Amino acid sequence: MIEDDFYRASSQFRLWSFTEASLHSLRSETNATASDRVRAALRRAREARQSTASSAAGTPSAEDTTTAGGDQQPHNIECLTAEEEQQLIRYYCEQIIELGERYKPPLPTIVRATAIQYFRRFYLTNSPMAYHPKTIMPCALFLATKTDNYYLSLRQFAETFPGDATADDIIAPEFLVMQSLRFTFDVRHPFRGLEGGVMELQAIAQGIAHPAPHAPQQTPDDLRRDLLALPSPPPPAVQSSSITDRLARAHHNTRETLKAAAQITDAYFLYTPAQIWLAAFLIADRPMAEFYLSSKLGMPGQEEEEQGGGGAGNPLYELRTKMFATVNKCADLLQSYTPLASDPEQKKNLRAIGKKLYHCQNPEKANISGQKRIPAAAAAAAAAVSSGGDPGTSESEIERLAKKRKLEGSKKDLFGGDLVMQRTKENQADEQ
Amino acid sequence: MPPSRESISNRGDDDEVCPVCKSSRYLNPDMRFLINPECYHKMCESCVDRIFSGGPANCPVAGCHKTLRKARFRKQTFEDIGVEREVDIRRRVMQVLNRREEEFDSKRAYDDFLEQREEIIANLVHGTDVAKTEGDLQRYASENMRSIRANQALEAREASSFQEQQTHEQELARLRRQAAREEYENERREILAGREDVLSRLAAGKPADAATIAREGHKVLLKKSSARRSEEERIRQKQAALRNSDSRKAGATAVDRTTESRDSGFIKGLKRIKTPEPEKPYDPFGGLVPNKRDYYTLRDSYPSSYLDPIRQDTRMQAGGYNLQEYYSRTLMEAFAGLGCFVDEEVARRDGAISKPNATEV
Repeated sequence: MIEDDFYRASSQFRLWSFTEASLHSLRSETNATASDRVRAALRRAREARQSTASSAAGTPSAEDTTTAGGDQQPHNIECLTAEEEQQLIRYYCEQIIELGERYKPPLPTIVRATAIQYFRRFYLTNSPMAYHPKTIMPCALFLATKTDNYYLSLRQFAETFPGDATADDIIAPEFLVMQSLRFTFDVRHPFRGLEGGVMELQAIAQGIAHPAPHAPQQTPDDLRRDLLALPSPPPPAVQSSSITDRLARAHHNTRETLKAAAQITDAYFLYTPAQIWLAAFLIADRPMAEFYLSSKLGMPGQEEEEQGGGGAGNPLYELRTKMFATVNKCADLLQSYTPLASDPEQKKNLRAIGKKLYHCQNPEKANISGQKRIPAAAAAAAAAVSSGGDPGTSESEIERLAKKRKLEGSKKDLFGGDLVMQRTKENQADEQ
Repeated sequence: MPPSRESISNRGDDDEVCPVCKSSRYLNPDMRFLINPECYHKMCESCVDRIFSGGPANCPVAGCHKTLRKARFRKQTFEDIGVEREVDIRRRVMQVLNRREEEFDSKRAYDDFLEQREEIIANLVHGTDVAKTEGDLQRYASENMRSIRANQALEAREASSFQEQQTHEQELARLRRQAAREEYENERREILAGREDVLSRLAAGKPADAATIAREGHKVLLKKSSARRSEEERIRQKQAALRNSDSRKAGATAVDRTTESRDSGFIKGLKRIKTPEPEKPYDPFGGLVPNKRDYYTLRDSYPSSYLDPIRQDTRMQAGGYNLQEYYSRTLMEAFAGLGCFVDEEVARRDGAISKPNATEV
C-alpha cells in the first residue's frame, strides 16, 4: 500500500515507533541509568559538604567520616521506579491539556497534542529525576506553538503561564529538549486523518463516494445501502434516524478520545496515526468503523467465498485480519485510559511520588537555566563540584567566570587598538 | 627502352587472331584483347567498340548467347582464362563471406568457415551445384548486409592503415639512412680537423711536447666518438619505441566493430553478440503512479457543511487556496500507515540493526 510507504518515511516511524517490549526496556534502562547517577551525585554532594564541614572544623582525619557516611547514605535514597515516573509524566501531560485552556484563545488541540508528544518523547531517554517535568513541560508547550505554526511571543506565553516562571525559565531547557527529540519536530497526529475519514463517510452517506481501488466492484449506491443498513452502535442512547447525526456524533466522540486518551497512553509510540483514529472511531461507533475498514479492503462475506475457493493466501484478506487485530488492540489501549481527575486513589499516589521526587532530584542537573546561559562555565562548575568543591564555591566559581567573560568582552583591542588613537600618537611623535 | 609488361605477355602469340573479326596481331601490333567476366570470350578492342557501343548485345562468339555490356569489358590479367575466372569468382565470394576470425567462437569454427568458403568457390569454379550455391550466397548476402558492410569497411580501413604504416616505415628508414650518412660525414670531418689541429699545434709547440699533444688529440677524438655513439643509441631506442606504439595502435583499431548477431545458419560457430537492451525511457517516479492510492479514490469534492462555504468564498479562493489540497492531505493522513504494523516492523528493524541507545540523562 503506497500510503503506508509514505508513513514509513516519516521520522515518527523511523525514530519514535517502538514495540511494547522495546518501549518498556528503553524506559527501565533510562530509569536505571538515572537512578545510578542520582545516587552518585547525591553521594558526591554529601561527601563534598562533609569534607568542607570537616575542613572548616579543622579536623584532619576527615576521610574516615566521609567514607563511612558515603557508604551508608546512598542506600537511604529511594529513587523513582519506571512506573512512578510514568504516572508523573501522565500527570503533567494532563496538565498540558488543562494549561491550553488558560490561554485566550485556548491553544489549538494540535499544539497541545504536539507538546504532549514532545514531552513524552523527551522522557523516553530522560528521567524526571534528572530534569523535573515542571521545567520541561512549559518548554515543550512553547516549542509546540512554534513547530505547529501557532505564533505566540515568549512574553505573551510567559504572562499567561501559571506560577512564577519567567520567560527565561521557560526557554532555558529548549536546546536540551530539542536535542532529546533528536531534532525531529514532525509529529503525525490522527486528527486530520479523522477529518478525512468522516469526510469520505459523508460522501458514502450521500451516495457519491468513489469505490476503493481494491474493491472496484462496489458502486456508490451499494456503499450507501450498506452504510444505512448498519446496526446502530451498542449504547442506543439516542435513537437517531439520520445517518448524518450518527456520523457527527461518532466524529465528536472520536475527537474527544483522540484529544485525551490517545495523547496520554502510549498509542503514538505503538501504533500509526491511521490505526489510532480508526481505533478511536471503533470505540465511538463500532459497526460503522468496521464497515468503513471493510469497504477499503473488501467485504468479509466476499472474502470468505473466495477463501472457500482456496483464497486463504489472499494478501488482502490477511492484511485485513491483521489490521482488524491491530486496531482492536489499539482501541483496548485507548479504552484502558482513565483521567487522573476521576481517580482519587491515583491522586494520592501522585502526591507521594512528588514528595519522593523532591528527595531524589539530581542536584547536578538542577540549574538548567545556568547551563543554558553559560554552558562552559556550568560544566566547569559541575566539574568543580564533582571534584570536591561545595555548592557555595561552585556558585562563586560561576560568578567569577561570568566576570571574567565580561572583562574579556570589554577588552576590545584583540586586534590592536584604535586606529585613530594610533595616528594621533604618531602625529604627536612627528611634531616632537 | 625495355619492353612493356603487356608486350612481354603477348610476345608468344604474335599470330593471335581475334575470334570475331579474324584480324591478327601480326597485321596490327597495337591490337589489345579484352574479356568480359560474363563468358570470358576474348575479342579485340575494336570489335568491342564496334559491337557494344550501341548498348548491350549478344556475345558474337558462335554458340554463346550471353548478353554483354561494354562497361564490363576489361583487360585480361592472367594468361590462363581459367585462372582469371577463378580469381574473379574468389574475389566475389570473399567479398560476401567476409567473416573475420574474431567473430568465431573457436579457431576450429573459423577453419570450418574457411573450408566452407573454399568449397563454395570450388563449386562455382567447377560448375557443381551452381544454382544452389548461388542461391545460398545470395540469401546470405541479403541477410547479413550490415555485417558484410561493416567488415568491408573494416578491411578497407586496415588496408589503408597498413599502407600508411608502410610508407611511414619507409620514411623512417630513409631518415635513418640520411642521419647515418651525415654522421659519418661529421665524423670524418672532425677526424680531419683534429688531425689538422694536432699538426698545427705540433708545428707551433716545442719538440718536447710533441708526445703529449699527440696523445691529447687522440683522447679528444675518442671522447667525442663515444659521446656520439651513446647519443645514437638513445635515438635508436626512441625510434624503436615509436615503431612499437604505432603497430600497437594499428592492432587496436582492428578490434572494435559492430556486427549484427544474426546467425543465419549458413555459417556455424559465430560468436553470439549480445546487443545491449535498449534503454527504457526515464521514469522519475520509479514505477509509482503519481496520483495512485491504494486505500481511496479522491473525489473532486466532498460534502461538508463546514468546508462548502469556502468553495464560494472569494477571500479564501483569491489567495490560491485549493480545497483539493485539503482533501488529498486529509485522506492521505487518514490512511498513511494503516498497514504499518509497528510491533512487527520495528522488531524486525531492531533485529537488523542493533539500536544505538542514546540515553542522555
